[in-house]
Amino acid sequence: MLDTGISPQRSMGRNPRIDLYLDLAQLISGFLLVGFLWTHMVFVATIIIGADTFNSLAQFLDDYYLSYVGIPFIGLVALIHVIVVVRRIPNRYQDYWRHARTIMHFDTWTWIFQVVTALGIAILASIHVFAVIMGWPIDADTSAARMHAFWWFYLVLLILGEYHAGFGIYRQFVKWGWIKRKTIGFALKSITVIIVALGLAALWVFVQLGGALR
Amino acid sequence: MSNRTLTFSVFRYNPATPEIKPCMQSYQLKEAGGMTMFVALTKIREEQDPSLMFDFVCRASICGSCAMLINGKPRLACKTLTRDYGTKITLMPLPVFKLIGDLSVDTGTWFRRLSVKTRAWVHTKKEFDPTVLEERMDNATALEIYEPERCIECGCCIAGCATANIREDFLGAAGLNRVARFMVDPRDERSEQEYFEIVGSDEGVFGCYGLMACEDNCPTKLPLQYQLAFVRRKMAVAGLKR
Repeated sequence: MLDTGISPQRSMGRNPRIDLYLDLAQLISGFLLVGFLWTHMVFVATIIIGADTFNSLAQFLDDYYLSYVGIPFIGLVALIHVIVVVRRIPNRYQDYWRHARTIMHFDTWTWIFQVVTALGIAILASIHVFAVIMGWPIDADTSAARMHAFWWFYLVLLILGEYHAGFGIYRQFVKWGWIKRKTIGFALKSITVIIVALGLAALWVFVQLGGALR
Repeated sequence: MSNRTLTFSVFRYNPATPEIKPCMQSYQLKEAGGMTMFVALTKIREEQDPSLMFDFVCRASICGSCAMLINGKPRLACKTLTRDYGTKITLMPLPVFKLIGDLSVDTGTWFRRLSVKTRAWVHTKKEFDPTVLEERMDNATALEIYEPERCIECGCCIAGCATANIREDFLGAAGLNRVARFMVDPRDERSEQEYFEIVGSDEGVFGCYGLMACEDNCPTKLPLQYQLAFVRRKMAVAGLKR
């Protein structure tokens, strides 16, 4: 009844620090992805200034091989993130669902959407990366044409991405930090609103440009 | 004085009579001024149904016996007022813990296991000498120990915790809060590595998802986010140091 010891089989076969390493891998890969996502949105938003600014930034990243290092690196980080976070999904998701429905607790609900948005991002972001690479190099005209045709796709991806990033980073601060939850929540909500607004503005400009090209 | 008639929907099941399936039973009761869930349950038991099982001891939110799910949320029946609710109130026993019957659960076995598993006592090699004065402790440290010690072990944090509801071996906020208390206690001679063995895994602090239903449902308002984060940071450092 009183299980107090450590199972010998488990302690023999398993690195006792594995849970820590996985948790840190989740934290670090998550932070890198959020950093990337926000930088990406700021870069994309240069279209608001003008197509020339956007093109010269894309050219700069291309000339200095930053794109060729960055894209595979972020792909790898995303892959690591997926592998380490999958362990968090309960074996029987019904257990979690039933619990969430019983206690009606806000943060418990948001975690369900964390899983749902993760699935959405995995699919949509893969398609997006594939489309960008197929249309290489990045320039305002091809981007505008793509956004014009698939604006709904990018709208969904933007919202899913920012939701997942915002709540993900919030939860890491809650788990590791010493700052009040309300303060972190407010700061992250503000950043998310700014990033989403930038994203929407960029999307709008692209759609307009795409329309002009036709 | 309120004129409301409350309808309580109460979970009924007695493991001693498994042939009677679990069900929700309704009771009607006239609300009294300043009525708590505990008072309401006592009235129902006295006037309507003597077979109704629920726990209480102190009636002053000190003992932690009367925790239950009130409209789905873990609360102490003795400090929850009926006037803060609508006329329909659902009462369920706390999940995770072993059901004794109806609203009564056995938190004792769970917390006993927690105490043994976390070795929740001061570990020291010093021989106790009753003739000398106790060693002094500075006030700040004493307060840091007293804060987590306010835990009344009602089980609300465990019942609210998604991880504890999913995996049986998770120590939960009550367990990690307890460990945090010994970590700051200068009388406890355990090393970081010894603590890591106890809580440095998914059974311990790394199993926490950070949903904070523990903190949001704690009747004594313990700063569980700080406590959990404190243990997590300490264990991360200990684990990386080797």
